[in-house]
Amino acid sequence: MRLVIGASHAIERRIGLFLTILLLAAAPLVYGQSYFLHIVSLAMISAIAALGMQLVLGFAGQLSLGQAAFFGIGAYTSALLTKTLGVPFPIAFLAAGIIAAISSLALAPITRLTGVYLGVATLGFTIIIHLVLLNEEWLTGGSFGILSIPWPNIGPYVLKGDRAIYYLCLVVMVATYVGISRIVASRFGRALRAIMLDEEAARASGINVTLYKSKCFVIAALVTGFAGSLFAGHARYLNPNDFTFWKSIEILIMVTVGGLGSLPGAVLGAFVVVLLPEYLRALDQWRLVIYGALLIVLMGTGTGGIVGLIALTARWFTEGVALSSRRIASRTRRAQL
Amino acid sequence: MTGAQLIELIVGGIAIGAIYGLIGLGFSMIIRATGIFHFAQGEVMMLGAMFGLSTERLLPLPFPALLAVGMIGGGVAAIVIELVVYRTLRLRRVPLMNIVIATIGMSILLQNGSLQVWGSEPMVYPKLFATAVYHVGPATLSPQSVWIVVLGIALVVLLQAFLKFTRTGLALQAAAQDSETAQLMGINLTRCTALTFGLAGAMAGAAGVLLGSLFFASFDMGFLPGIKAFVAATLGGLGSIGGALLGGIVFGLIETFSARWLSSGYRDAVGMGMLIVILLAFPQGLIGLFKRSR
Amino acid sequence: MTALLETNRLSRRFGGLVAIDDINIIINEGEVRGLIGPNGAGKTTLLNLIGGQIAPSSGHIFFAGRELSRERPDRRAALGVRRTFQNLRLFREMTVLENVMVGLHANTHAEALAALLGTRQQRTEENWMFEESARALALVGLSDRANNVASALAYGHRRLLEIARAVVAGPRLLLLDEPAAGLNLTESAQLVGLIRKIAVGGIAIILVEHHMDVVMNACTNITVLNYGRLLAEGTATEIRENADVIEAYLGYDEVEDGIEPKTNKLFPRR
Repeated sequence: MRLVIGASHAIERRIGLFLTILLLAAAPLVYGQSYFLHIVSLAMISAIAALGMQLVLGFAGQLSLGQAAFFGIGAYTSALLTKTLGVPFPIAFLAAGIIAAISSLALAPITRLTGVYLGVATLGFTIIIHLVLLNEEWLTGGSFGILSIPWPNIGPYVLKGDRAIYYLCLVVMVATYVGISRIVASRFGRALRAIMLDEEAARASGINVTLYKSKCFVIAALVTGFAGSLFAGHARYLNPNDFTFWKSIEILIMVTVGGLGSLPGAVLGAFVVVLLPEYLRALDQWRLVIYGALLIVLMGTGTGGIVGLIALTARWFTEGVALSSRRIASRTRRAQL
Repeated sequence: MTGAQLIELIVGGIAIGAIYGLIGLGFSMIIRATGIFHFAQGEVMMLGAMFGLSTERLLPLPFPALLAVGMIGGGVAAIVIELVVYRTLRLRRVPLMNIVIATIGMSILLQNGSLQVWGSEPMVYPKLFATAVYHVGPATLSPQSVWIVVLGIALVVLLQAFLKFTRTGLALQAAAQDSETAQLMGINLTRCTALTFGLAGAMAGAAGVLLGSLFFASFDMGFLPGIKAFVAATLGGLGSIGGALLGGIVFGLIETFSARWLSSGYRDAVGMGMLIVILLAFPQGLIGLFKRSR
Repeated sequence: MTALLETNRLSRRFGGLVAIDDINIIINEGEVRGLIGPNGAGKTTLLNLIGGQIAPSSGHIFFAGRELSRERPDRRAALGVRRTFQNLRLFREMTVLENVMVGLHANTHAEALAALLGTRQQRTEENWMFEESARALALVGLSDRANNVASALAYGHRRLLEIARAVVAGPRLLLLDEPAAGLNLTESAQLVGLIRKIAVGGIAIILVEHHMDVVMNACTNITVLNYGRLLAEGTATEIRENADVIEAYLGYDEVEDGIEPKTNKLFPRR
């Protein structure tokens, strides 16, 4: 069971998007605590990375376990530019995305691979990048990491404090969501879905499969690089251990839990993966065990994830309502006879 | 580099290579039989190591017994995973991507479950032999390495013999090559697949005990060696058991020798770089290349 | 006049098996060429060679004078060679309309950036794709199912959808791989009508088919393969009465056994 993208439910989607933005924008006015802002900002940053992953996995069907590498490249690029070279944040932000995108071109030959082999190759790439971050102390500070990353600044305004960062993340997340939505609904998105559903037929219909796989990797890397830049400005301290293959797997879990093929699902999954452990502190030890089991169970029931579950429930509900009203109507008719 | 050092490096490389080969042949067997890449194969190896260790803590057994425990533990664990999880997924006819992600989930589950049970501290393994060292020419070899090589090769030879000369083994091969026809011949596919997983798990379990005795055992000892074993199996030729051993030994040698010249921090990068090169340049492996040239 | 498609000593081996052996055929514009032969004769292999799904072992393929053998399938599609598949390769989770729109991919250019910015080029192209796809669906008769998911279609309609996707871009050569497989008599007759309509629209067709009534009624010329080799070529009538062809299909020499070849059941007259 996969979610079908189409012109259907367009209005519901718009309303949903609007309400979500409203909710997230208003939340800091109600829950002003620093901790809340901090953690939801992290969720939004993760959501940006998850959106990139959704494009690659949920729409093009490519198992990329390399997102952590782009996240790390983006984060370190941004941190080094702002801290060491005093580059203004907007430029560092763009550079982070662009350099991550360029590094994804190194993976271009790998996009020829399919299925698990692509996954393992991208995993190898993540491990290599992690080792570079860990070993090249002169550049990355090695295992000590990078400290005292400056607050992001836009022109003369310094975005200092959790609230400012929160709104920055919100703006970027919404922009990313809208951007990826447009891409997915276009000819480009159709080509990706065609590749996922039947590569051979896609080729016979005129799609250069390898090129499009590479393109979608580049877009995902760009977006993930942006997320990394925000992460650097948000945490203001970077450590290579945040960018291991576990991060790649975490992003995979976000997209899977939310629902493959659904953009709202990617955001939802990111929020669940980041926020839920905070509210289930007691189970913290078992968090990863639960994720592992959850992944298995979800994969057994299709790829719908949480969003799929919601859709199922909604359909069951509306059909149930229609069914029961029919039953009432027929019972009344029989009573009248 | 002296002759002695060269010999020690070679033996060390072959030893770790044999371990990779044992894990890697499991990948080959499972892919051939079910088409699944068993992401959690490294974790099965870890379980074998852990079972062996826990048993040793309860009652001090001689090493061969520990090896057997590890093999049985690994084999049983693999069979349980196959029958309870993978088979259910196959019966539900889920898309291939789902199964791949599920094996990743299994890997996460096993690693972190093992973390809960055995804790995060690496645990010291009893040594294969206490103190006696072997002298081969000018070189001083630890009995560990030598016996790992011997045992590794012996196990693979035994496995090959089992597959070629016993009825069950032939049934396994038939099921792997053409499951439909095998079923028509009266072969129980469920049992064959389970047995394939069991054998792959047993070999991995043995590798776990051997690896543990070489270094130590910990909950995350399976992940990186698992990937490396996959590289090794692909290097040799995915689908071939002898190829997995060959690939493992070549990989082990390359890794050991390059660790000497590269900074130790990048030791794992060698394997990952090899992975990418192999997948791109010759995914059919050494054996595939050899076949082509004939 | 240059032939539209020309193969020159085209061969394909699979290990020791020779699937296609030294085939030389010429397809001209406006032709509807039937490609028939017993099972294993190499018909689908030949189609795969022309479509680009497999590469030749030796020999050449020329399309409108241009060497085709090294081109990827998507390049060939862009050049005007489109096909359907024996086992149906639809994009099952897309709608009918979306399936057809994918067929226009090579004729449009708006990439991700254009989609992101919502440029005029992108919007114009989307509208154009929509209209052309609607027209292709009208041609095959699936207009009222445009927004259904492809996997929900009946089998016969799925075959029509694949044809719509293949013709929407106005190809010069259309390869049909057993389009009548699984169709009943009515649907087969409608298929013949559709094929004729497509041919009239200026598209040359190579039709691999086992349903002889479809072949005989839709095709202008027929090529017969046997064991990877050219067995016979000619008009429908000529092939129907060709003793070699009859023997290849039935396995015995009808004339020698005293049976009038003109009354054979394999190629019934209409």
